[in-house]
Amino acid sequence: MVDSKKQRPSIQTSRHHPPMEKSPKVKNVTGTLRRIWGYMESNQKRFLLVLFFVFLSSILALLGPYLIGIAVDTITGEVSSIHFTTILWMLAFVFLFHSITLALQNYWMIGIAQQTVYRMRKDSFSHVLDLPVIQFERTQSGDVMSRLTNDIENVSRTLNTAVIQLSTSLLTLIGTLCVMFWLSPLLTWMTLTIVPLMYFGMKWITKRTRVYFKEQQKELGEMNGFIEESLSGHAMVKLFHQEQRMIDTFAQHNRRLQKVGYWAQVYSGFIPKVMNTLNNFSFAIIVGIGGWLAIATNASTVSIGVIVTFTTYARQFTRPLNDIANQFNTILSAIAGAERVFQIMDQEKEEVIDQRKEWLGEMKGDVRFQEVSFSYTEEEKVLNRVSFHVQSGEMVAIVGPTGAGKTTIVSLLAQFYEADQGEIFIDGVDTSTIQKQTIRKQLGMVLQDAYLFETTIRENIRYGNIDASDQQVEEAAQLANAHAFIEQLPHQYDTLLEGNGQGISQGQRQLLAIARAVLADPAILILDEATSSIDTITEMKINEALGRLMKGRTSFVIAHRLHTIQNADQILMLRNGEIIEQGTHTELVQRNGYYRHLLTTQQMMFE
Amino acid sequence: MRNVFRYANIYQKSMVIAISLMVIELIVELVQPVIMSKIVDEGIVAEDMSVIYGYGAILLGMTLFAFAAGIASSFFAAQVSQGVGHDMRQDMFRNIQMFSVMKIQQFATSTLLTRLTNDVTQVQGLLFAFMRIMLRAPLFIIFGIVISFTINIPLAFILLSTVPVLFIIMIFFMLKGMRLFRFVQEKMDRLNHIIRENLLAIKLVKVFHRIGFEKKRFIQVNTDVMNVNKKALWVMEIVMPIVHLVMNGAIIGLLWFGAIQLETGAHQAGELVAILNYATRILASFGVFSFLIMNLSRGRASAGRIDEVISAHPDDDATFKSIQGRLQGAVTFSEVDVQYPHANSFALEKVSFDVRPGQKVGILGETGAGKTSLLHLVPYLYSPTNGTIQIDGTSIEDWGNDIRRHVTLVPQEGFLFSGTIRENIAWGNEHLSEEQMIQVAKEAQLHDFIESLSDQYDTFVGQRGVNLSGGQKQRLSIARALAGHPSILLLDDSTSALDADTEKNVLQAIRQRACTTFIVSQKVSSIMDADMILLIENGKLVGKGNHTELLQSNPLYQAIWRSQQKEGGK
Repeated sequence: MVDSKKQRPSIQTSRHHPPMEKSPKVKNVTGTLRRIWGYMESNQKRFLLVLFFVFLSSILALLGPYLIGIAVDTITGEVSSIHFTTILWMLAFVFLFHSITLALQNYWMIGIAQQTVYRMRKDSFSHVLDLPVIQFERTQSGDVMSRLTNDIENVSRTLNTAVIQLSTSLLTLIGTLCVMFWLSPLLTWMTLTIVPLMYFGMKWITKRTRVYFKEQQKELGEMNGFIEESLSGHAMVKLFHQEQRMIDTFAQHNRRLQKVGYWAQVYSGFIPKVMNTLNNFSFAIIVGIGGWLAIATNASTVSIGVIVTFTTYARQFTRPLNDIANQFNTILSAIAGAERVFQIMDQEKEEVIDQRKEWLGEMKGDVRFQEVSFSYTEEEKVLNRVSFHVQSGEMVAIVGPTGAGKTTIVSLLAQFYEADQGEIFIDGVDTSTIQKQTIRKQLGMVLQDAYLFETTIRENIRYGNIDASDQQVEEAAQLANAHAFIEQLPHQYDTLLEGNGQGISQGQRQLLAIARAVLADPAILILDEATSSIDTITEMKINEALGRLMKGRTSFVIAHRLHTIQNADQILMLRNGEIIEQGTHTELVQRNGYYRHLLTTQQMMFE
Repeated sequence: MRNVFRYANIYQKSMVIAISLMVIELIVELVQPVIMSKIVDEGIVAEDMSVIYGYGAILLGMTLFAFAAGIASSFFAAQVSQGVGHDMRQDMFRNIQMFSVMKIQQFATSTLLTRLTNDVTQVQGLLFAFMRIMLRAPLFIIFGIVISFTINIPLAFILLSTVPVLFIIMIFFMLKGMRLFRFVQEKMDRLNHIIRENLLAIKLVKVFHRIGFEKKRFIQVNTDVMNVNKKALWVMEIVMPIVHLVMNGAIIGLLWFGAIQLETGAHQAGELVAILNYATRILASFGVFSFLIMNLSRGRASAGRIDEVISAHPDDDATFKSIQGRLQGAVTFSEVDVQYPHANSFALEKVSFDVRPGQKVGILGETGAGKTSLLHLVPYLYSPTNGTIQIDGTSIEDWGNDIRRHVTLVPQEGFLFSGTIRENIAWGNEHLSEEQMIQVAKEAQLHDFIESLSDQYDTFVGQRGVNLSGGQKQRLSIARALAGHPSILLLDDSTSALDADTEKNVLQAIRQRACTTFIVSQKVSSIMDADMILLIENGKLVGKGNHTELLQSNPLYQAIWRSQQKEGGK
């Protein structure tokens, strides 16, 4: 009987979208934008200044080619109303200020973006820690993880550059069009003829790339699956000498991937060519028709300078047109990400519910559940009117099939959940009137899957009590039977644990978790008994350490194997959220009920 | 990076075509300003419409030609990059298949997976971009300047002088920025790690009242992230304003010098227009450089990781010497040591024992004591660091991979390949008959279960098939092992998920096979009838003998026995 295992969250990286993905869904754009705006705090004014500078630099960028055109005209002597050196000075001024405004707007925007994101990260993280534990069981922690990392990172990247880029592109597009119309409406219309061509060209291509990219993704997924299988079954492949067969199967996957990858790449390779050709087309149109106009009208409508200017503008005009669509998508997906982060922050904090008294003085550990009911959803009661009384220093075993509500009882005791009905008393005090944190200070926990932090062994044990001295840490380890194996590690207590304690066994992790609880010195102890994957010898060590830890404390033990709890002062037999049997081992065996039944089945398994 | 070009060499022809097509496009683009200057000078200024139409037509024709070249180059470039990707993946996978079980542990499974997929995709993208965009920017700059020299030498000198300045600026900032971004990545990893830890261990954080501590820890790293990120981004973003400034300065220089020249009648207006046009386009080419350098460094890292796998020595080739005939099944270990690479202690130390054909050997010990290492030695999945192993009197090195025809191992986590139950049982024994298959399924106590499935032996299992329970997987693995008629059978705790009755029946069936059997188990009850029990602690053999002998003489065995007796509830 193994209790349901927690799923490990995985970080989903969704950084690389295939090109031209459909726009992400955002429920409340203005609301989300307003909240991001709020997070800028003191930087709001500076942000407006940035936008102003974007405006300035866009105008300056438009002025450059215009002035060059005039300069060329002045040299060729077509128009000579302004002195040539004056124009050069004006150009120098425009160029210098263009670079300065560019540099400043980037500098400020990066500062604003990073400070804003810093605040969002800080607030969301601290909010998550203050959420009631039950929230983590409702939403998958992998999802929360992805919101706190990928989504915020997305906001960060977008604020850094996309905001400036989009506003620059928009301003450039509008400005360019205006100037072009002002210079020569006729040439402008001629240039605009490429827009519908561009639209249909891109549509034709993306219709195809989307299909192939999707297929490529599918093939890649299948190949991934095959590789994973072949790697985890490597020893089996060797044993059954199936190497060649694996290579042949892989070759089939590989060839299929090559084929779709080929078409995806070919079609996506068309995009810049179409853009480029249309650019060249506009160039040809401008020069051809512009030249004809210049001669036919004797340069009265179109001058050589105008043609030169126009070719530059036409380039400036097609580029932002392509960028805007992409940038708009980036910004939308960032807003969607921000919205997901804010959703977390909108969930109610534990401490808001919890404006209560502090627990003062020592806790004796007398626990009483009175008619306690609890449910996640309305339909299904997880616990139904559970009552029991545990006296200070007693050991209580909670047994029953998976899903009976064993973990719920200790979660209620640890104040992770709140009872729907009924009261929980500790030392005669109703716990719903006491601050959760101050009750938890008196609790200790050893969970089934002992979590180890990525730091030294010493700090992992010290997690139980931040003020403990090195000597106290080692004493705790000794009591927990962990000292011997720690001493054998390459750097003993200073050995760094990586990736949730890889490199040390499940049993050893359990011993460290016990040491942690020893150091915390709690009045009430909660133990989720170790799984069956631990070997007998280590289990002996664990049981010995647990015996020492439990001495003199009230302890709740969630038991999976009945033989370990036969000396408990009380056994609560749970089934479907109700206590169906209650008493000592001997009493329950004599009763000849469900406990007796379970006991015999388990005995059979170990026969 | 060199290995990438070695692979690309196979597609030399396509690559040459792709690059030539790209150069054709480039030439068209380069010639444009020249034609434009002709239109201005010989057409508009000279008021000659025929010149404008003539050159205009040439301009249009060239544009269409360049378009065709560009589209065609996409096909050839994709052929090269996808071909190289395919070949790299295939070579990597082939090499991995030839790694020994020991060797493959040098690379974590997850890194092998990313090397085969992400890293190859990275290199493919780089190669494709290399043939189409990357070469373009530097070529454009070089050709642009060369053509400028043919138009007007003094003006071209002004243009030329800016290029090295821009290069130095770009590379200086890019290198600095990339170094900073690596730093940013480190800090980001740290930040994400803290978030992950807190989400996983939220109960501990709350019970041991560490919320304040964790928040403080987070703020520290968060501040670090903000500061390095700011710095890195500033360095990257300052480049373009500077590049613009330098290049625009050059344009002013061109105009000023051009005007002076024009007054002295040294050139025509069209020449100045053409060179100005090159100047603005060269400026645009520099914009591509940041993209280029960044991708190049990323691609190089990927190519390096791929090369590590391809060039790693395959130490377990699938060749067989052909020693035929049935094995007796005698196994002798003398003074065997096993040491994993990069480990400082022995996984097994001075292990000696002697097993006669047909004997049943039980192995008992703590997790990590060396039980699995011992089992892996028999089918030559590992080779001993010191000492000798003999099977039927022949040393394991002389047997080589051939021994695997006679020895088979059932791992604790019964392993399934995607496919039908039939394929899984017959895996490695393609010639297995229907009767033989059903026979082994019955021996593994699996036949009744399979019969209850709607597709019976043709039911799909594994990744996209029916989910089997741990016990069913274990029984399927046992059936697969029995199908090969092994002379030596190694069970690595492979009945742990079976209930007592089923386990007894499976072990009974194996008993009747009369093959030498090694059974690793947690339960004394599963091995107490063994001819020999090996008790292992920290890689050393601390007890050897049958149940009665060990119970009399070995304190550790006594302790385990006692504790499991209690478990039984007696």
